[in-house]
Amino acid sequence: MTPREPLVSNTKCDCGHQNPVGTVLCEACGKPQDEKELGAEGNLEMRYDGVARRSQRIRQGVIDRIWNFFSSVKIAVYLIVITLLGSMLGTIFPQESTFLNIDASTYYKEMYGTAGNIYYRLGLSHTYESWWFITLLVMIGASLVICSLDRVLPLYKALTRQKVRKHRQFLTRQKVVLVSPLEADPEAWVAALSEPLKKRGYRVKTEGSALLAEKHRFSRWGPYVIHIGLIIFLLAVLARGLPGLNMDQHLAFPQGEAARIPETTYYLKNEQFTVEFYSDEEMPEEFRGKKVLPKLYETQAVLYECTADCTDPAREPVLAEVARHDIRVNSPLSYKGLKAYQFDYDLTPVLRSVQPELVNSLTGEAYGKFKLDMRNPERTFQTGPYTLSLKEKYMDFGLNEEGRPVSKSPYPNAPAFLFLITGPGLPGEGQQYFYFPKQVDKEQFQQQAINERLGGSGRFLELEVQDMSDVDFAASTSYLNIRIDRAMPFVWTGAGIVMLGLVLGFYWQHRRIWLRVEDRELVLGGHTNKNWFGFRREIAAVLNKVDLIVDEKSLDNGGGLA
Amino acid sequence: MGKARKPVQIVILFLILLLGGYAIGTSVFGGDGKPQEGSKAPSYELLGLDGLTHTLDEYKGQPVVLNFWGSWCGPCVKEMPALQAQYEKWKEQGVVVVGVNVGEDRLTVENFVKQVDIHFPVVMDTGRDAVRSYGVSPLPTTFFINAKGRVDSIHIGQLELDTLDVQIGKLVDP
Repeated sequence: MTPREPLVSNTKCDCGHQNPVGTVLCEACGKPQDEKELGAEGNLEMRYDGVARRSQRIRQGVIDRIWNFFSSVKIAVYLIVITLLGSMLGTIFPQESTFLNIDASTYYKEMYGTAGNIYYRLGLSHTYESWWFITLLVMIGASLVICSLDRVLPLYKALTRQKVRKHRQFLTRQKVVLVSPLEADPEAWVAALSEPLKKRGYRVKTEGSALLAEKHRFSRWGPYVIHIGLIIFLLAVLARGLPGLNMDQHLAFPQGEAARIPETTYYLKNEQFTVEFYSDEEMPEEFRGKKVLPKLYETQAVLYECTADCTDPAREPVLAEVARHDIRVNSPLSYKGLKAYQFDYDLTPVLRSVQPELVNSLTGEAYGKFKLDMRNPERTFQTGPYTLSLKEKYMDFGLNEEGRPVSKSPYPNAPAFLFLITGPGLPGEGQQYFYFPKQVDKEQFQQQAINERLGGSGRFLELEVQDMSDVDFAASTSYLNIRIDRAMPFVWTGAGIVMLGLVLGFYWQHRRIWLRVEDRELVLGGHTNKNWFGFRREIAAVLNKVDLIVDEKSLDNGGGLA
Repeated sequence: MGKARKPVQIVILFLILLLGGYAIGTSVFGGDGKPQEGSKAPSYELLGLDGLTHTLDEYKGQPVVLNFWGSWCGPCVKEMPALQAQYEKWKEQGVVVVGVNVGEDRLTVENFVKQVDIHFPVVMDTGRDAVRSYGVSPLPTTFFINAKGRVDSIHIGQLELDTLDVQIGKLVDP
């Protein structure tokens, strides 16, 4: 040792082993390193086998300070408590993310008054996405990693490099101790004891008259396995924010149309939506006539995947069916991580197309039907000798402030079409004709009066729908919640590893027995992390095999553990 | 054994800083993916009235005024003459005005374009993809995108001739 490092020389044990700063019990022989501790009575502090944690050294630099901060279990406990308190704040009022369509800036004030307004202004309406909450989680994650590393590596080293012969005081200050006169030949006696120990699953190492027997060391890694699981869990949750890994949207699927699921190559078609209610007979007495209870919501869904021309808006996509499922509550359609849940429904029919027939109202002669789509209709239609060209189209007919026809919304609530009809018996430039496919609109907007103004009183052509089979509409719309969560397998993996760690740590105990026979005296010390009662009983049973009868209770050296 | 200690500490702290920074960063700077002032304008692929597919990349290096409109929306109709006038005025300096129709069909859009007499390129967002990627909720909404492809400003509601002129001026000569 160089004289420049005086501190290092202080940490050398009597047995000749050089210990790192902060060592409680010599890494080699187990002798207490602190002078005060050496003179003390009572049980030894066996945590981490008395080795120095990585961060325990002379203070240096910023990095060491940060490292020391996160390696402290006390800090970890504070962080967890603060996070728990923070989580509680998020449960006072519903979070913004639980609503589909609200204006958060006014909702909380209207719903919960001043308290709600303060809640919103403090940003607690999105507690779990707030920067301070995420910061706490990141700090817990850092603490998990650093706490583990700081302890697991020294502990691993200590446990793999155990010396068989330990300092006498190390043995007599364990919680399980036996000091007993022994007349037998030390080496033979130790060798004889090995057999029953091995039978009980101990790994036995002997060094002359000293012995170390150990079993279930792996259970010491349980807590660290739990930490690895938790870190994977946290990283998976963090990864959900990356594009493409998580999607949660609510989409409308009108019956009979394949609708694209945005941000994916999938299309979903609602072939049939069914809603059933309980009849009066099926309901209990007190509900009859008072309540309407749904019995079944079901969307017969077909999932398609686009195989070609998916993004080019100039072309129709090529679709291939990949899955089919009758979606009900709690029975989603599931395909390669995509899940479609039943969410809501709307029984308002939506008009898709009509097939009106052009008729001569004077003679009753019909010229034939044509198909008129509400969306992207054809521009010209030929029926008999007449040509109808579509000039204007209004999805939701209305009049603006200047009295001109406009569409009030892009939804086909009150569709209206303006045709120019040319053919025999009509003026050369043709005759304009307004057509409302819905009967209710025909009356409300007075189709007859409009057309008479446009075409004069000598009109004789009318568009008429003859049969309900000529009307195509989506009877209802089913709302589905489409979810993709590709991070879930990692979340489950993390949770599985946590479980494995728990099992390791809870169902096995690390048991160690040290003994030395010297000067016709047996000195035995034992250490475990739980179930001391079982441990003492095991030692008594083993000693019994070599005809050393001891009362298991007499092995108890105090320490307050059973 | 102790030699690798410091580098290991530094690497681990660095990784924590990186991942933690990402996590906190996305929560602070609105991780909802909607473009804000200063962020990159999302690309789109939409069918134009000319029957061809158009993207934002076509106008690389040029300032773009992206106007989302619908024929049913009153303020959209009212602001069209202002847009057309400014389109004429700034055309020479490379400014492009693009009208994005939201969710209507071709006939409606064609009739509308004819009726309000606009000549700038119009694309149709029938699937509301651009609406989603630009996070548009009320119409009209106009994005002023600079020559570097970044959103300079966002105007929600009806545009006025003078303010539009100022905003385009800012795009051309920042």
